[in-house]
Amino acid sequence: MDKTLILAVLIPVLGAFTLPIFNKISKDLRNVMAVVIAAITFILNSMLMQSAFSEGIRFAITFPFGFDFAFKLDPLSAFMAVVSSLTSLVIVIYSIDYISHYENQTEYYTMVILFMGSMMGLVYSDNLLWMYIFWELTGFASWRLVGFFRGEKDVTKANKTILVTMFGAVVMLIGIIYIYLNNQTLNLSDLKAREIAVLPAVLILFGIFSKSAILPFSTWLPDAGVAPSTVTSLLHAAVLVKIGTFAYAKIFGTVFYTPESFNYAVLIITGITALVSGGAALIETDIKRIIAYSTISQLSFIFLGLASGSKMAFAGGILYILMHSIAKASLFLCAGIIEQKTHTKDITKMGGLVKTMPLTALAFALSSFSVMGLPPFGGFFAKFIVFKGAIETNDIIVPSIFFVGAILTMLYLSRLFYKVFLGNEKINAPSEGSPTMVASVLFLAFVGLVLGVMISYPYSYANTTSEIMYMGVSVK
Amino acid sequence: MNELNSNISNLVLIPLLLPLISGVLLLLISDKTKYLKEVLSFAVTGVSFAASIVILKFVLQSDNLQYHIKWLGNLSSISFRIDQLSAFLLFGVSMFSLLLSLYGISVKNRGSSKIFYFLLMLTQTAAAGSVISDNLISMLFFWESMVVLLYVFVYISGETQACKKTALKTFLINGISDIAMMLGIIIIGYISDTFLMSKISQNKLILSGWGTVAYVLLLIGALTKAGAFPFHTWIPDAALNSNAAFMAYIPAAIDKLLGIYFLARISLYIYQINSTMQIILMSIGAITILVAVMMAFIQNDYKRLLSYHAVSQTGYMILGIGTLNPVGIAGGLFHMINHASYKSCLFMTAGAVENQTQTNDISKLGGLFSRMPITAVCFIIAAAAISGIAPLNGFFSKELVYKGTIMSGYTIFFYAAEIGSILTLASFLKLGHSVFFGKTPENLKDTKEAPYSMLIPMIALAAICVIFGFGAHLPISKLISPSLMALGFVADGELSGFHFDNLFLLSLVVIIIAVSNHILGFRLSGKAYKSSDHIHYAPVLHQTYDMAEKGYFDLYEIFRKIFSSFSSLLFKIDRFFDKLIDDIPVSITLYVSDKVSKLHSGSYSLYMFFIFVFATAYLIYLGGIKW
Repeated sequence: MDKTLILAVLIPVLGAFTLPIFNKISKDLRNVMAVVIAAITFILNSMLMQSAFSEGIRFAITFPFGFDFAFKLDPLSAFMAVVSSLTSLVIVIYSIDYISHYENQTEYYTMVILFMGSMMGLVYSDNLLWMYIFWELTGFASWRLVGFFRGEKDVTKANKTILVTMFGAVVMLIGIIYIYLNNQTLNLSDLKAREIAVLPAVLILFGIFSKSAILPFSTWLPDAGVAPSTVTSLLHAAVLVKIGTFAYAKIFGTVFYTPESFNYAVLIITGITALVSGGAALIETDIKRIIAYSTISQLSFIFLGLASGSKMAFAGGILYILMHSIAKASLFLCAGIIEQKTHTKDITKMGGLVKTMPLTALAFALSSFSVMGLPPFGGFFAKFIVFKGAIETNDIIVPSIFFVGAILTMLYLSRLFYKVFLGNEKINAPSEGSPTMVASVLFLAFVGLVLGVMISYPYSYANTTSEIMYMGVSVK
Repeated sequence: MNELNSNISNLVLIPLLLPLISGVLLLLISDKTKYLKEVLSFAVTGVSFAASIVILKFVLQSDNLQYHIKWLGNLSSISFRIDQLSAFLLFGVSMFSLLLSLYGISVKNRGSSKIFYFLLMLTQTAAAGSVISDNLISMLFFWESMVVLLYVFVYISGETQACKKTALKTFLINGISDIAMMLGIIIIGYISDTFLMSKISQNKLILSGWGTVAYVLLLIGALTKAGAFPFHTWIPDAALNSNAAFMAYIPAAIDKLLGIYFLARISLYIYQINSTMQIILMSIGAITILVAVMMAFIQNDYKRLLSYHAVSQTGYMILGIGTLNPVGIAGGLFHMINHASYKSCLFMTAGAVENQTQTNDISKLGGLFSRMPITAVCFIIAAAAISGIAPLNGFFSKELVYKGTIMSGYTIFFYAAEIGSILTLASFLKLGHSVFFGKTPENLKDTKEAPYSMLIPMIALAAICVIFGFGAHLPISKLISPSLMALGFVADGELSGFHFDNLFLLSLVVIIIAVSNHILGFRLSGKAYKSSDHIHYAPVLHQTYDMAEKGYFDLYEIFRKIFSSFSSLLFKIDRFFDKLIDDIPVSITLYVSDKVSKLHSGSYSLYMFFIFVFATAYLIYLGGIKW
């Protein structure tokens, strides 16, 4: 199993660089190989997930100064790896059609697979420094991907993306160095169950917030909507923004005891973020920007679960990551189909698309229901449990803020659906998207439904993970 | 006994899973098959109805039924517990599903039959699950599932933009109230440490601190479902833009059953509410009665008029529950089932008329009695029942509500309810007169009676109105009194039976006032459908009515305005943060680098000067000069 662990990281990371070589042989071979690498990564992760609860699966090469090259399997990492590799796989399959009209395809596939690989490295890292390195690697890949179209505006927005997240990451690096100076190690297994000082915690939080687009760093995410839809969905929905939440869960949830006031501050900041981004989503008229704002608001709900300070809420946060990844990826991919067919992103110019694109509309509706948290979709349970955690802090301010946030979620998603699919017909898409694209979104939408109907499996996984790993707030 | 018990328990799954499975199967049936979907749905709802009768019988004779399904591990299981009240509700839900699955066969504007029956089956499952769940989480799960179904139900009724807008409104009002309810349930779980209603009821919650917050949130959920003021505004809109089968099924029957059921559960079963909350509840009831009936009175659309009555009648039920005494509660619950039967029947007649004449505008209808006699008779029975004319079922349940209100000591609400009754009767005189009597318009001369699939459920419901009236003893003893017991109340004295007392005399006075008002209105305007004009266009009222019709008092519209300005503000905050991390750092960087680049002037002496200055500074630093 130790070998599977390292393979799950190395195959996509190194495999990414073989794609330009395959491209020399044939374009189709390159596409096939991209799918194959993504599929293998997903399969390896699924295998790892089955032994996630057995102790001591770790791969480490020791280096001085805290540079230990260490990977460790735990339930949280395995979960995150499976979710992100599954969404990535669907996205790669969807890309084959979607991206075939554009330039720079080889770079695109290379960067997507590299992104996926660095994500795997990040989630399995047992060392903060390596976590940081993979973190920056995902940032690099996302920079190339957001700037996929080489227009001036696209490049500016891509630069904004990398500058904001890099700034946060560098601040985080200072925090990591601080931790090393205090503890003489950066291995997470060795750091477990220690107290973390407030200063490094805040510094690391900068990195997390900038990556997960929480105020005040949130606006790079809607701006990154210039990217092709596959990228937006990969980056925004499924994976990139979840890095921040994952790091929060891992560092402040399962390694260190965190002070209660620190958690409370996180709740307030993310609560305000949920409101601000929800309000912005209700005003914006660009379909991708709306979905991006919606991502920001939903990320706040994930933080609500992770930072509430109880095991149940933490499990809710994990569950939320799963449900949101699936549903939001589907929404972005639907937006991609719509954009490709109508040649616009402005929802005031759309309307009545349900007639020509019924399947896309269905997938979009089902995924929206999941994000809104309606039963029997998976999102319902995630929302219920994070709210339960929020109430159990015995505080009335945070739940009230998020209550309004949840109302805003319902409003902006139903407005979006109404304007795009139901409103008066303006631009009419000539036809439904291509079969692979529509199949991808329908698949994701139905996964959201199935996860809700068979909630006991993901729930018990998340719950056991939280039971085993969650450290809780410090007693002081 | 135990073995029997467990066998019976398995029966619970029939009204729950059978519609669900067959609903999903329906989607797989080809569109080309004729009547297969209808027959299947009818059979399924029929079997479910039979099962619910067996369950009801068992629960009345022996014991509560329990059934548990593993679900959310340590958090919650799906646990059903059928006491007398739940069995009564399950019976009601199954009965209306059965009647509507028959009625739906010939309704024209209900969309594709596949989708219609799919929604009907799933709604049955969700409603059945909600009324038999003991666990609040599983109840919420079933309850909130209905939001999506409602949305599609309204959406499939028509192609117009108004229809889609109404679908959105329906969805948002119900969806947002369900979020409130979710929070309420979570708070209950937090303060009482369990989500099982039966456990909480052993140690009832009181209204203080978190308890009050939770109660208010749950109340919003229950009132929205029941369609009470001010959360009712989607119902009249849906009446215009959706089909009669939907109206007869959900707003008239299922939603009322669920909303009042849950209101009773929270207000009587898991909470011990205080007198302040009692006054609030009764006021909501009275306001709902009056506001909605005033609106109903002036309507000129058959279904829309009925829909305002559907709201108004909810007020009586809330009033009844709000009395907190056994007589009033019995009245509220009895009114719930009575209302569902006559209102569902009335919507069915509206659907039949619409089907046969293609219109619901009462100014274009008239004289249909001779052409659609069965529909007309059903209408008259149901209209008399809703107006509280003895000895139909509406009379008995209203009488109980009145009695309960008087017993509670707040007689002002009693007068409000009586005024409501006058207007109810007046508006049904107007409706019946314009549709079934008077002159028949030329284009309706050839109108035929509705098909049997519509008549049979109508007749069945009209029969219930009569049976539950003359034989009120039967439902009172089999359904209402046991339900009271389940809620922990015992009625002293007989609840049923005809009493020749002041209340009966008062009901005669009500009839006289309403009839004379109608005659007055008819004389003044000359047209039956204008018989409300003398009130509609009276000073002050006229302006108020105009504003109401424009939606100035619509909570939904008010909320929309608030949220749109609120979100503009939030958007500005977002733009501010964007400036903060985007424009400001960029302009500072540009400014600084611009200034610094000016220092690179190419002047050799300037560079030497800098080197000298900084080298000196460095040497001084190395030398460790103490300041």
